[in-house]
Amino acid sequence: MAQIFPKWTNQVPRKILIGLIVLLNAIIFGVWYFFSPEYTDVGYAPEQPVPYSHKLHVDQLGLDCQYCHTSVFDSKQANIPATQTCMNCHNQIQTDSEKLELVRESWQSGKAIEWVRVHNLADYAYFNHSAHVNVGVGCESCHGRIDKMEVVYQTEPLSMGWCLDCHREPEKYIRPVDEVTTMGYQVENQLEIGKELVDKKNIHAPTYCQGCHY
Amino acid sequence: MLQPTARVAIINNVKDSEITDQQMSEEVKQTTYWKSLKELANNKEYQKFAEREFPENATELTDGVSRRGFLRVMGASVALAGLAACRRPVQKILPYSKQPEDVVPGVPLYYATAMPVQGNLVGLIAENHEGRPTKLEGNDLHPASKGGTSIFNQAAILGLYDPDRSRSPLNNGNKATKEDFAEFAASHFANTGQRVAFISEANSSPTYNSLKEQVRSRFSNSTWVTYEPFGEDNIIEGNRIAFGNRLRTHYNYTNADVIVSLNDDFMASTHPNSVEYAKQVSARRKVTDTNGEMNRIYAVEDAFTLTGSYADHRLRLKASEIEAFTYALAAALSTRINGLSAFNGYSNQFSDHKWITVLADELTSNAGSSALSVGSQYKPEVQAAVAAINQALGNAGSTVNYLEVPHFDDQNNHQALSDAVAEMKAGNIDTVVMVGVNPVHTAPADLDFENALTNVETVVNLSDYVDETAKKTTWHVNRAHFLEAWGDGYSYGGARSVIQPQIQPLHNGLSEVEFLNTIVNGELTSGYDLVQNTFKGYYSSGFDTRWTNILHDGIDTTDSYSAANVRIASGFASAMNQATSNVSTTSGMEVVIRPDATLYDGRFANLGWLQELPDPMTKITWDNVALMSPATAEKLGVSEQTAGKDITDVVEITLNGKSLKIAAWIQPGHADDSITLTTGYGRERIGRVANSYMDYTAGGVDVYPLRGTDTMFYASADVSNTGDTYEIACVQDHHSLEGRDMYRQASISEYKENPDFASFESVHTYPVPGMAEAKENGDTDGPISLFDEQTYPDYEPQWGMAIDLNSCFGCGVCVIACQSENNIPVIGKKEVKRGREMHWIRNDRYYVGDDADSPQAVHQPVPCMHCELAPCEQVCPVAATTHSEDGMNQMTYNRCIGTRYCANNCPYKVRRFNFFNYPKEYLTTGDDPDIIQMAMNPEVTVRFRGVMEKCTYCVQRVNRAKIEAKKETGSPKPADGTVKTACQQACPADAIYFGDLTDDNSEVARMKRNERNFQMLEELNTRPRTSYMAKLTNPNPALA
Repeated sequence: MAQIFPKWTNQVPRKILIGLIVLLNAIIFGVWYFFSPEYTDVGYAPEQPVPYSHKLHVDQLGLDCQYCHTSVFDSKQANIPATQTCMNCHNQIQTDSEKLELVRESWQSGKAIEWVRVHNLADYAYFNHSAHVNVGVGCESCHGRIDKMEVVYQTEPLSMGWCLDCHREPEKYIRPVDEVTTMGYQVENQLEIGKELVDKKNIHAPTYCQGCHY
Repeated sequence: MLQPTARVAIINNVKDSEITDQQMSEEVKQTTYWKSLKELANNKEYQKFAEREFPENATELTDGVSRRGFLRVMGASVALAGLAACRRPVQKILPYSKQPEDVVPGVPLYYATAMPVQGNLVGLIAENHEGRPTKLEGNDLHPASKGGTSIFNQAAILGLYDPDRSRSPLNNGNKATKEDFAEFAASHFANTGQRVAFISEANSSPTYNSLKEQVRSRFSNSTWVTYEPFGEDNIIEGNRIAFGNRLRTHYNYTNADVIVSLNDDFMASTHPNSVEYAKQVSARRKVTDTNGEMNRIYAVEDAFTLTGSYADHRLRLKASEIEAFTYALAAALSTRINGLSAFNGYSNQFSDHKWITVLADELTSNAGSSALSVGSQYKPEVQAAVAAINQALGNAGSTVNYLEVPHFDDQNNHQALSDAVAEMKAGNIDTVVMVGVNPVHTAPADLDFENALTNVETVVNLSDYVDETAKKTTWHVNRAHFLEAWGDGYSYGGARSVIQPQIQPLHNGLSEVEFLNTIVNGELTSGYDLVQNTFKGYYSSGFDTRWTNILHDGIDTTDSYSAANVRIASGFASAMNQATSNVSTTSGMEVVIRPDATLYDGRFANLGWLQELPDPMTKITWDNVALMSPATAEKLGVSEQTAGKDITDVVEITLNGKSLKIAAWIQPGHADDSITLTTGYGRERIGRVANSYMDYTAGGVDVYPLRGTDTMFYASADVSNTGDTYEIACVQDHHSLEGRDMYRQASISEYKENPDFASFESVHTYPVPGMAEAKENGDTDGPISLFDEQTYPDYEPQWGMAIDLNSCFGCGVCVIACQSENNIPVIGKKEVKRGREMHWIRNDRYYVGDDADSPQAVHQPVPCMHCELAPCEQVCPVAATTHSEDGMNQMTYNRCIGTRYCANNCPYKVRRFNFFNYPKEYLTTGDDPDIIQMAMNPEVTVRFRGVMEKCTYCVQRVNRAKIEAKKETGSPKPADGTVKTACQQACPADAIYFGDLTDDNSEVARMKRNERNFQMLEELNTRPRTSYMAKLTNPNPALA
């Protein structure tokens, strides 16, 4: 009587087992990597209704962040500037640029330009810009080298673990308040200066839940 | 009878033997506190119910019917955008085109405004997020608020965003625009000879009243009736009888050492000046040390009211007996003081009553510093007698002022309404214009107003909703909310304010001044111009500065009502002789109709917050009931409610040939042979919330059909038990502490004798278990504990709360303020019935004593205690509830997986669970859910199904203040008084203190050092950050 199962079938359970382990690992790794904000969010660079170039305005023309984002020291939000702010200059220069068509339209109609949000925190996380910049967290610490961006994209994952990196060891990232908007700020003895600033500014970044979640 | 007092003492690390039998037996001397008759009886059934966290089957999901019912309350559900992509959906940011000055995106602005109720303004401050008002607070500078609010003020924000508000003018039921209406008005009212009847709500606006004068001069054949279902006509008429002038009675309880209320519930939100009165009365009961003195309050009343529960002495009388009681009191006083000769020699059945002697003695010995008041629904003669007594006592000018109110009509408006309706029926009226009133629903039933309207060719009205009246009109105009339109007016006491709008009219409505102006002048003029013109008339110079100041402060201090110099009028004695010889009390069963504690006369019926706010005394939500005393219930054969299932008998009440069926409810402390009904319920097709669905949602019964011209307040009626039953959603037995030691009180003399009466040791006769052992170990923080005691860094503030039970009178405004601040959903009657109410702060009402017929009642607000050794934190498997460095018990929604272990382990029962996605149901319903979403506070997460939530000490306010303090001073410790929780800020009695305990001089730290301070369930060693200050009473030894 012939064997029902040929000899190669002896290997099947082992192969299934190995396959399952590999698959399981792949799934775990896949979720761990591909579902993390670091993969899904970093590099997000949506097309904006007006092709505004930070590179041009900040790097080449030397505008300070606060020229447009005026409320960053006072409010939880670093505001997107009103059309009026654009028109301060653009009623004088580039007055007939096609790229600025929408800006002029908004200025005339009074309707808002619908910018696409790039940096988007979860609704249950409350971030306050003024609390951070007033103690010396630089713009670029979270937003990256905006001055090098033609189109703004997200450079940091903005995940909770990433926030906590700084909340636990602020001395590694903190800078003097008057350097907050500086792009490309770097000092050699960051740890030393950072510790001094943390002491001076009485910084105790909350690491308890309600610091951000309520 | 079993005593539901502290019998159980399960304490960490304490051996059972340490609590001796002697200690156990001594506890029995404690006072009995009970929430319901079921608890007082404490039978097996009740115990079984109380042991459960939620009522039986509450956690079952097999409730298709109720879910449908729930959706019906909230409207049809609209699916949210699904998981279309891995990344979150694209969000747009819309900046301003031209940024308004002063607006910083993300920083709310605060504007002064004022809310009119019955024409009386209460000054408010509106929190405005980029042009969207989200929260109303009291205005410290405004005398009718002084920072406090009533439940109606708090709920007004929901009224603004109510999706069921009338959206457009209607011409014979067809949609129209306000321009169409203006066109109609211009042509129709061009005929100035036509016979027009104007029926308006009370309105103190000078702009409105000058338009009213224009109406009178323009339409020579017009009549003007001011109609309020629960207005002050009787008081005004009474003052006319007593003093010869139509005056308003305005008390100043600050000067009153003795307050006597004759069925006048002046502290409840239903009183037009409740906030000011509550402030004044409670301020005179603030006792900070043993040298403190308190006023003394007497209440004589039929139903158990808030004022009655706050009183030191309360006498139950039928409503109809209080007239005779008043005259007997006047007669007793006439032998003691001059000026009441009209009552010389008069006597009736109450003349020998113990209370008459006691009250007469008290009022006489406190002449000039006492205040006597009587319910506004009593007839003018009773009001006149009370006014004369106050005048004779020398109280006028001290505790009570009689104000000359310029806009009062020269007529008795009750009579004027009857006359106008008679004219309408006779076909003598061509046009009826109604402003803000809803007489089809609220007018005396025997007038048959609805029928009278059919004889009128043109009917025009202005109202918030397409209500009973609006449905009968030729032209209905949708009214702009007070937060949408400019207005002005006076407070009850005569402070002038401008009503400043916070947002453009959502539905393009007209305010009452714009509406009336359109009728008079035939064109649409903006309310801003109308109001400004009025104020320009007041100032000959410097208008712009003054106007800016008025808008900024919310009050114009240059004008106020003047107090009349009153003297008894000549006709007073004969009026009293006539009145006293015709006193009658109802025989047999009496029915009393009152405005509802939460819906008032029905104008707030579509506000879910108010529908779901438990009645301050009965704790019933979503329904009105027939209140009766236990003895009356026995007489009628109404049985006690079953524990956990508030199924109650339905009684039939017949009065003047009309009858209605309504659920009966036993109210301990109610007068016998008397039944109290409240208005505002039983509505049809008004709005999704107000509508009556007797089967499963809510709505109650319309009692206006029983209210006739002669039975406006009380009348004899036939009452019978129908044998039917009806289920009520009553929260009084929910979240029960099962009679454990949670409330402490003493009389002020006992307090002076033993200042430590509220300490654990005084109450229980043994020290807090484990305290001595801890002290041996050198630990002074509290009793020994199994748990690691958390250490708090000194750079952080440490938050704590103290609630003064001596100030709290139970109005419930804290509940609504919290709901508004913290985006707490409304869940509907069926869900409440299952014990799922979501209020973060509950207001427990306890009856005190073993006498169910005439108990004392006390109130205790219970928010999260923020225990330092929190039992909830120990059992959370995912660390979703933990402790913060500033000492708060934090609830992290995004971590919560919904095991509900924490709620099970909370001894204070303050945790609330989202059994369904309640907010989604109510935030995504209707045609345009965007509108109701605008009422949400953007600083607070909207919680999802399966998530636990609870009081956060308003952490969003705390964090905002910490950030601001850090920016300004470098320290995250805000100055004392910077952070106010929503409940604290709204409280008209200033009963809640909140602040930083590391600051020894902070108000809360001082309160916590007071001897009266105690912790609820201290023996559990949870170390709550919220503590209570024991209540004091000021009883008269003569009545002891």
